[in-house]
Amino acid sequence: MDGQLLSETFVELTDTMVADFDIIDFLHVLTERSVELLDVSAAGLLLADPRGELRVVAASSEAARLLELFQLQSDQGPCLDCFRSGQPVAAADLSAGQRWPRFAAAADQAGFRAVQALPMRLRDQVIGALNLFRATAGPFDAEVVHIGQALADVATISLLHERSMRRTDTLNEQLQTALNSRVVIEQAKGKLAERLGIDVNQAFTLLRDQARNRNQRLSDLARALVDGTQAITVPASGTPRASRPRTGQPRPGPRPVP
Amino acid sequence: MTDTRRRVRVWGLVAQQAAARGGRVSAADVCAAVVPGVAVSGAWLSAARDAQAGHLMQVTDEVGGQLADLQLTLGEGPSLDASVSGGPVLASDLADWESASRWPAFAPAASSAGAAAVFVFPLVIGAIRAGVLGLYRDQPGPLSDFQLGDALVFADTATMLLLDAQDGAAGGAAARTGPGGQPAGLASRRAEVDQATGMLTEQLGVSITDAFARLRAYAYVNDIQLADVARDIVARRLRLFPDPDLPLADKA
Repeated sequence: MDGQLLSETFVELTDTMVADFDIIDFLHVLTERSVELLDVSAAGLLLADPRGELRVVAASSEAARLLELFQLQSDQGPCLDCFRSGQPVAAADLSAGQRWPRFAAAADQAGFRAVQALPMRLRDQVIGALNLFRATAGPFDAEVVHIGQALADVATISLLHERSMRRTDTLNEQLQTALNSRVVIEQAKGKLAERLGIDVNQAFTLLRDQARNRNQRLSDLARALVDGTQAITVPASGTPRASRPRTGQPRPGPRPVP
Repeated sequence: MTDTRRRVRVWGLVAQQAAARGGRVSAADVCAAVVPGVAVSGAWLSAARDAQAGHLMQVTDEVGGQLADLQLTLGEGPSLDASVSGGPVLASDLADWESASRWPAFAPAASSAGAAAVFVFPLVIGAIRAGVLGLYRDQPGPLSDFQLGDALVFADTATMLLLDAQDGAAGGAAARTGPGGQPAGLASRRAEVDQATGMLTEQLGVSITDAFARLRAYAYVNDIQLADVARDIVARRLRLFPDPDLPLADKA
C-alpha cells in the first residue's frame, strides 16, 4: 500500500467536498481512486433509490458498470447481498463458488475473478455499496478491505454535504438530485457523442475535462449543453464537426441548436 | 430488487381515479390519487414544458391552490427550488429553523394558509422538465420511507402522463401504454435510453423533450422495447431522421 498516495487521495476527496461540488463527479473520482489505491481492476458504486431499487451511479470502467447492471437485472450477486445484509461480502474466487452462478458467469465474461463488496452505511440504514472487482482470484488483503470501507464511508458522507446532517430529509433530497443529475449527464453524453462523432465514454471524459477547465460543476455543464445554452465544439481528437453525418446520408434541413 | 409491484399498485390507484371520474387517465388523476396514497392533506400539480414557466393544472383543495399561488407571488418556495435542483424538496416542518431560513417569506405564509409540512417533487427526466407535484400536510412530520418511495413513483407517473399529453397536443405518437397499461417508458430507466435521447436531439435538431417523444414513438410504432431501440441508436445501428414525410428511420 502506497502511504503517500493514500493520504493524498483522502486529502483530495475531502478538499473536493468543501466547495459546492458535484456528487456524481465526486463518486466517479472515488471509484477511480479506489482502483489506483487498492490495486483492483475496477470499482462500481450502487445507491438505493427509495422507490425500491438500486441504481448504478458511478463506475471506474464500462465493464464494471455493465456487471453492476447485470447484478441488478439478474437480482443476484455479492453487491446485492452486501446491500441487503449491510455487511461486507467477499468472493475470492468466483469460478469456485455456487453462490451466484449467473453473476459468476457474467463476471468471468467481463474479465473479473474476485469481488469485494463494501456497504455504505448511515446510522442503521444501508444506502448503497462500493464494489471492488479484480481480474485475478485470491483473497483481498485486510488492508484493502479496511481502506475500501473508509472510501465507502467517504462516499456516504458526500451525500450529506449540504445543510444539516441531522435531517433525514437532506439525504433523500441529495440522493434524488444526484440520481437526476446522473440522467442529465447521460443525456449530455449522448448529445455530445452524436455531435462530435465519438463514443459515449469519450464524451464523458470530454465533458468532465471541459467542466474542470471551465471551473463548472459537471451536472451544470451537462444541463446547459442539453438545454443548448452552452456548447462544446472542440472534440478531444481534433476531428472537425463537419466529419458528420457518418452514414453518408445528406442531413435533411437545418439543424438549429436550441 | 425491483419496484415493479409498487409501480403497478400506484398505477392502479391513479387508474381508479380516472375510472371514478369516467375519463382517460391524466396527470390530474395522479394529483387526486396521491393524497390518500401517501396520507397527505392535499396536492397541487403544475405543468411546464422545457424551460417555460409552469401553469397550475390541478389542485385538490383550497390550501393546495394557495400554496401554489404564494410561491408565484413571493418568488420563492419549494416548487422553485425543486425545479432548479431537479430533486425533491422535503420540508417536514415549515415552522422549523431550516424552513424559515430557506424561505423567509413563503414559510410563514404557508403556515398561515394551513400547511405544516410541504413536499415538492419535480416532474423531470434529467433535463426534461414537465412540471412539479406538490404535497402538503396540516400536521408536521416527515414522509415515511415507504411513503416517500410511493410519492416518487406517483411523480414518475405524473411525468409520463404530462409528456404523453404534450405529445398528443403536438401530434406526436408517444401517448401509448406499455405493459400493465402504464405509459411506455415508465419502467425502463436505463442509461442507454438517456444517451439515445441526447443523441436524437442532434440527429433530429429538436429539444430533449421532443427527442424523448420521438424515441418512444419509434419504439411503439415498430413494436420494439424502448431499451432495445435505445441500444441500437447508441451503437449507431439506427438513425432517426427529422423529416416526418420520410420513413421514420432506416437501419444504417
